[in-house]
Amino acid sequence: MEWASQLCENRGLGSKMTDSKYFTTTKKGEIFELKAELNSDKKEKKKEAVKKVIASMTVGKDVSALFPDVVNCMQTDNLELKKLVYLYLMNYAKSQPDMAIMAVNTFVKDCEDPNPLIRALAVRTMGCIRVDKITEYLCEPLRKCLKDEDPYVRKTAAVCVAKLHDINAQLVEDQGFLDTLKDLISDSNPMVVANAVAALSEIAESHPNSNLLDLNPQTINKLLTALNECTEWGQIFILDCLANYTPRDDRESQSICERVTPRLSHANSAVVLSAVKVLMKFMEMLPKDLDYYGTLLKKLAPPLVTLLSAEPELQYVALRNINLIVQKRPEILKHEMKVFFVKYNDPIYVKLEKLDIMIRLASQANIAQVLAELKEYATEVDVDFVRKAVRAIGRCAIKVEQSAERCVSTLLDLIQTKVNYVVQEAIVVIKDIFRKYPNKYESVIATLCENLDSLDEPEARAAMIWIVGEYAERIDNADELLESFLEGFHDESTQVQLQLLTAIVKLFLKKPTETQELVQQVLSLATQDSDNPDLRDRGYIYWRLLSTDPVAAKEVVLAEKPLISEETDLIEPTLLEELICHIGTLASVYHKPPSAFVEGSRGVQHRRIPPRAGSVESAESPDVGQSGSSEAPPAVIPSQGDLLGDLLNLDLAPPTSTVPSVQPSMQMGAMDLLGGGLDSLLGGDIGGSPSMGAGLGAAPTVMPAALGGAPAVGGGLGDLFDLGGGVGMPTGFYVVPKTMWLPAMKAKGLEISGTFARRGGIIQMDMSLTNKAMSVMTDFAIQFNRNSFGMAPAGPLQVLTPLSPNQTIDVSLPLSTNGPVMKMEPLNNLQVAVKNNIDVFYFSCQFPLSLLFVEDGKMERQVFLATWKDIPNDNEAQFQIKDVHLNSDAASNKLQGSNIFTIAKRTVEGQDMLYQSIKLTNSIWVLAEMRVQTGNPNYTLSIKCRAPEVCQFVYQCYEMVLKN
Amino acid sequence: MISQIFILSSKGDHLIYKDFRGEASKDSINVFYEMVTALSGDQPPVVMTHKDHHFIHVRQGGLYWVASTKTNPSPFTIIEFLNRLAALTKDYCGSLSEKSVRMNFALIYELLDEMVDFGYIQTTSTDILKNFIQTEAVSSKPFSLFDLSNVGLFGAETQQSKVAPSVAASRPIMSSRGEQGGKNEIFVDVIERLSVVIGSNGVLMKADIQGEIRIKCFLPTCSEMRIGLNEELNIGKSQLKGYSSAVRVDECRFHQAVKLDEFDNFRILKVCPSQGEQTVMQYQLCDELPCAPPFQLFPSVEKDYVNRVLIFLKLRCDLPPKSTALNVSITVPVPKGSVSMSQELSSPDQTAELQPKSKALLWEIPRFPGGAQLSALFKVDVPGLSSASLLEVGPVSMSFELPKQTCTGLQIRFLRLSPTQTGLSQRWVRYVTHSDSYTIRI
Repeated sequence: MEWASQLCENRGLGSKMTDSKYFTTTKKGEIFELKAELNSDKKEKKKEAVKKVIASMTVGKDVSALFPDVVNCMQTDNLELKKLVYLYLMNYAKSQPDMAIMAVNTFVKDCEDPNPLIRALAVRTMGCIRVDKITEYLCEPLRKCLKDEDPYVRKTAAVCVAKLHDINAQLVEDQGFLDTLKDLISDSNPMVVANAVAALSEIAESHPNSNLLDLNPQTINKLLTALNECTEWGQIFILDCLANYTPRDDRESQSICERVTPRLSHANSAVVLSAVKVLMKFMEMLPKDLDYYGTLLKKLAPPLVTLLSAEPELQYVALRNINLIVQKRPEILKHEMKVFFVKYNDPIYVKLEKLDIMIRLASQANIAQVLAELKEYATEVDVDFVRKAVRAIGRCAIKVEQSAERCVSTLLDLIQTKVNYVVQEAIVVIKDIFRKYPNKYESVIATLCENLDSLDEPEARAAMIWIVGEYAERIDNADELLESFLEGFHDESTQVQLQLLTAIVKLFLKKPTETQELVQQVLSLATQDSDNPDLRDRGYIYWRLLSTDPVAAKEVVLAEKPLISEETDLIEPTLLEELICHIGTLASVYHKPPSAFVEGSRGVQHRRIPPRAGSVESAESPDVGQSGSSEAPPAVIPSQGDLLGDLLNLDLAPPTSTVPSVQPSMQMGAMDLLGGGLDSLLGGDIGGSPSMGAGLGAAPTVMPAALGGAPAVGGGLGDLFDLGGGVGMPTGFYVVPKTMWLPAMKAKGLEISGTFARRGGIIQMDMSLTNKAMSVMTDFAIQFNRNSFGMAPAGPLQVLTPLSPNQTIDVSLPLSTNGPVMKMEPLNNLQVAVKNNIDVFYFSCQFPLSLLFVEDGKMERQVFLATWKDIPNDNEAQFQIKDVHLNSDAASNKLQGSNIFTIAKRTVEGQDMLYQSIKLTNSIWVLAEMRVQTGNPNYTLSIKCRAPEVCQFVYQCYEMVLKN
Repeated sequence: MISQIFILSSKGDHLIYKDFRGEASKDSINVFYEMVTALSGDQPPVVMTHKDHHFIHVRQGGLYWVASTKTNPSPFTIIEFLNRLAALTKDYCGSLSEKSVRMNFALIYELLDEMVDFGYIQTTSTDILKNFIQTEAVSSKPFSLFDLSNVGLFGAETQQSKVAPSVAASRPIMSSRGEQGGKNEIFVDVIERLSVVIGSNGVLMKADIQGEIRIKCFLPTCSEMRIGLNEELNIGKSQLKGYSSAVRVDECRFHQAVKLDEFDNFRILKVCPSQGEQTVMQYQLCDELPCAPPFQLFPSVEKDYVNRVLIFLKLRCDLPPKSTALNVSITVPVPKGSVSMSQELSSPDQTAELQPKSKALLWEIPRFPGGAQLSALFKVDVPGLSSASLLEVGPVSMSFELPKQTCTGLQIRFLRLSPTQTGLSQRWVRYVTHSDSYTIRI
């Protein structure tokens, strides 16, 4: 740093003061020197000294020892010096709270100064001193400044309310500052309005339920007026605030859009993006046939295109946003394909984003252009980019059928280059093309086989093996090819091993005579020499299939495969909607909801696009129904792990499900499929195998029988019992409050919460289904996995009307306990699959064991005694139930409500011993001894049962019943 | 909301540090510096996250301008703001460098205080700010006549020096004391960036022009300036492509302060420029070039001997004869295995070299007059050459600058100040076109 000052001196600047000399290194006694200078009489000297102090502060030196001396300089009429002192104060007040009080008087005095600059400066600085003690002194000056005649002071005071709220929220509320702040929204100065809006928005985020920012048409109108007049940064605050408003109807929505549209041509890209956010959100409410809707679509394109002319950093951010917009409304940019063509000097992260958007925009109209570009990209230098370009060609083939042939020939050209990574990437995408268009392009297999040796990446090897297995009958030397892969079986990755196993089994089923040896070899490699459970399980399944019923094996392994979906990497629709509400923010760059990366309560509220006007009210008009179905979220992507869910999804979604009322027959049909799908899930770990589709063909199992029971009666009966249960017993079965079982994020907008109850001897599962997606949900069905106590639905899920967006429906599902049994971990775990027109969702929940305590569970005394003795002592478990404030009679009464029966009571030395019996639905008896000492809130519970694993859960029931 | 703002030197020294919300510690500076230096080239650098802390930064003048935040703000807002902060610092301190920031730290703190309050951006306009700022700027360089010779166009970093004799690039706008160079000057620059893709058959496949009009104003008081553009300027994709030399742009955006009441009829921009630098108008033209692309390339690539590629390039400049292109450089990707190269160039001021790192050959021509045609022959040795590796040659990319040229044809007809300034006021209008991305496929 000394060089800087030397430089200045060399240049003859010695006489002229420059700030850089403050950075000269500190030596011993420097603090002392500064102290002396700070106390100097000369103003200039003081100023220089404070500057030196601040310079030291910036580079991280501790100059807090000078606090009193610096504060002494505060009382000055020199504004420059005052500002410097305040700068120091803001930094050190926190570490020296007692000293900071010394400054308060000057602050309060400055808040009365005739110069508005000084008034504002004082109130601004005071707010930045985050010391509790100061806040009490701050209130009065702040109140005055909020009503100051000078707008500069008012706008500073508005921000100060937010600062104070951050330090002491209660104080702000008590002092009524929030109301004053609300009044400032109507201020005559747009800058004051903007700051008031910003402050209120932030405060409102920490009180999600308050209607602080009470947005109504009047305030909106004021905001829109201020929007035209305030600075660009103020416009951003106001636009962001507008985006949180939900217009009452489409007319209001249109008028807001009209007044926001001029912002699209602002030079500041942040203003443009905030305006885009408002428009994207409010557009949702406009009827699509409106002329204005089309106009708006056209107006959105140019500003988005212009964002791409910025520097690469901004371009990247813009592209991430455009990626979202294109997924939501591809029509906006459909004619702008060319602007997404990459430039040679774009950084790689910009290139990759552009490529992604190009594929999303690809359509029959522009495919020729896109392909020509992609082919160019595939010869570039950057490996990552080339790979993605090759993959993009494959995606185009799958997306635009008319182009498939050209895509394949382009890929073949690329394979001819023999560039290793290009070839591998091409083979991976050709596999997908084969799946999409079976029996069309198999002529190219020969070319592919020539490149077998150059494949060294697992994904490419797996793809090639799949092709060989799938088309084994057309490849003469398929057995030799696969055998060559088999040599290094153990060195391959799991992906390749699994694929090789399946391919060889396919080959065997197609050409059984020549390949017996090969298949035995691979089966033994997979089952005996491998320690990978997936591989072993799949090996055993094939082995058993082949050895017991080769015909069935053929049906399973060579079953027809479901089509693969066109669009890949789509963002899940509910997330997309939320992200659209966050256009222009960090969330849109990360493509994650703000709750995923912002700490605390701030910004955690999930924002939703308002529903389109009319779609709810006029649900009976067929037109709207149609538009509803076109809004249905597109199917999302087979990522390896989810393949099963996806396969089910593809086949299950009934293509014409727009009929509002669900016909029972249809529901039944869907059920069958679901039953089959679920069974195959349970059948073993073969997820991810292409032969998975076979599961769908399996015969329907138990479900139709269950459906046979008259559905309407089941529900009605449940209700009756419900009523009886409520009146008949004073202490009924305790029902746990509903808990969230399936969050909307995981189920494409379907949210399920629920609980279990036992009413009049019937077990019921009470659920609330909420539709948090945009489209109507229909065709609900439910199915359980096998579980420890054989619980199964005793009737279908009674959701007879379609579930419209934001609607919640409560259903009670009666359960029986004679379904298939399988021990679960934990014992009371229940795995459930719920299906609707969108997809199948899986979740698991745990039921209280008391559900299974039957009404005739009271044991004879003698039998009790004999049984107690009969059960070995090893099976006894002891528990403590703490903090129960009931006497033994009340407790026993309460327990009886949950079918825990007291058989006998004995009092020994002030201790009540209760002997109790319970019978489970599967006729297991549980015996218990409960010791209650008067005055002691802690009970001791001993449980004996032949099946000791239930003890823990019985104890939980006691705990639950007694404490509620 | 911005939580902290800091400015770091390229070596990571703390130059400016300001905490607005007291929710993060000063350690975040070091965290940021570690992250930014560890960043690899293919990661998007703009937004970085450390735990729940997000950093957004830009690089200007060799310095890191960083904002950190804990909420979910708009990265556009912050990037725009940081760019403005850098521009304002440049306006106030004269130039942008580690030294000028160090020298003017008190001024920059004062600016920051007025620009951001509790993380809310308040203003970035010089007109408003000058009412509040007390500290005098310290110029990092004494004014000297010698400096005049190497001052470039402020809007575009070029080596072109003789266009306007001005100290515009390194003079603080606000200095009231020290009347150094206190000339009443105003500069208006029209800068266009050209991006072009020419197919292997010589057909123009894509052409975009991004343009802007920037002014830098040193007038202490200026009530209104009128900038007259071509009268026959068309905006939007109009059908009237008529007869003559009408100048057309697709879309334009204006600075907030520009008044457009005479724009529709007379194509006059009215603006009250605040002191300092600002962009008054941005425009773009897509998919169309009003003139021929400035360069045409006629390449031929052949396999010579077993391990040698012959690349013959003939390059023609289609500018009008009076114009000249400067700093023309041509980059041709060559096969991966290339080891050495020999060349035949047509004049001694040209250079060519093989850049083994980027696997490309670079041919540079300092001056290229309009209408001229140059050719060059390159022999590249590639051991193990295959026919496929010939495909690796290309596409050719070029960079250049065209002084006194606009590709759209946009001109400034006149520049009027009203009321007429007392004393001498100098008005400069400059034009330049840069290549943004000029690609010729082989």
